[in-house]
Amino acid sequence: MATTATITLTSADIAGDPVNVSKTATCTKAGATTDLDQTTGLNRVHLRSTTNKVLLAANAEGDNLAAKVYVINKATDPTLYLTITINAQTVGKLYAGDWMFIPWSQTDTSASIEVAATNWTASTGDIPVEYALFHEDTDFLTNA
Amino acid sequence: MATTTATVSISSDITDSTINVSNTAALHTAGTTTGLNTMTSVTKVLASTDQVDLITTGSVSTTHAYVYINNPSTDHTEYFNITIGNAGGGSATDVEEIGRLYGGDWMWFPWDVDDDICVTPSVSTDMTIEFQVFS
Repeated sequence: MATTATITLTSADIAGDPVNVSKTATCTKAGATTDLDQTTGLNRVHLRSTTNKVLLAANAEGDNLAAKVYVINKATDPTLYLTITINAQTVGKLYAGDWMFIPWSQTDTSASIEVAATNWTASTGDIPVEYALFHEDTDFLTNA
Repeated sequence: MATTTATVSISSDITDSTINVSNTAALHTAGTTTGLNTMTSVTKVLASTDQVDLITTGSVSTTHAYVYINNPSTDHTEYFNITIGNAGGGSATDVEEIGRLYGGDWMWFPWDVDDDICVTPSVSTDMTIEFQVFS
């Protein structure tokens, strides 16, 4: 029951020598070698809210347990972005085609992962967002 | 401008039908199709459990960047607590915890360069952390 995540970073010209970084992580329970055993599966939603919406609701039960979050902005217009926020702290902006993969602590119920289609307008069209959560806690509920 | 790509591949057999995800992002400046042109690559060894500013806003000259952080430890019990916020002010309460990066784990995320990225090692026995910032 393994979950693996691989990142590959490449650039032939951002530095004097080519950049090639590749790393595979096997997603395990916190502090253990036991595989994560629960997931929301891959989800897809269309976002048209310029204010924050809860993408993944934090569960205090998940504090100190392992959880990995994958989010991608599937828009094709390069100007459209999602603002990613945890507990009112902005992390960054996912522009069209950008993805993120992070551990998620769920320190308390305020630590939900929220997204906003900050520069969405009626003329831009919805922003398709795909996401998945891989986790270990026993009673996780998502509002997806 | 440089051409830099970040590819993710996720495979999971937790569910009855295997989940396979693969996507490649070309790294652009905010809202454009212009490639990024700056990269910082650092390896540090941290020898205390004090919180440290790993990546400061002053180290990047733009408002949109991408961050890769890797915990190369082979010990699955050792982790870095990754936080974002104004730890430079000296108060740990100013920061929001993102998550714990255990041995063998990596993370990749966009960074709006508004607040520092801080880490707290779980042990004081020389934990190595690697990161790259593209901007």
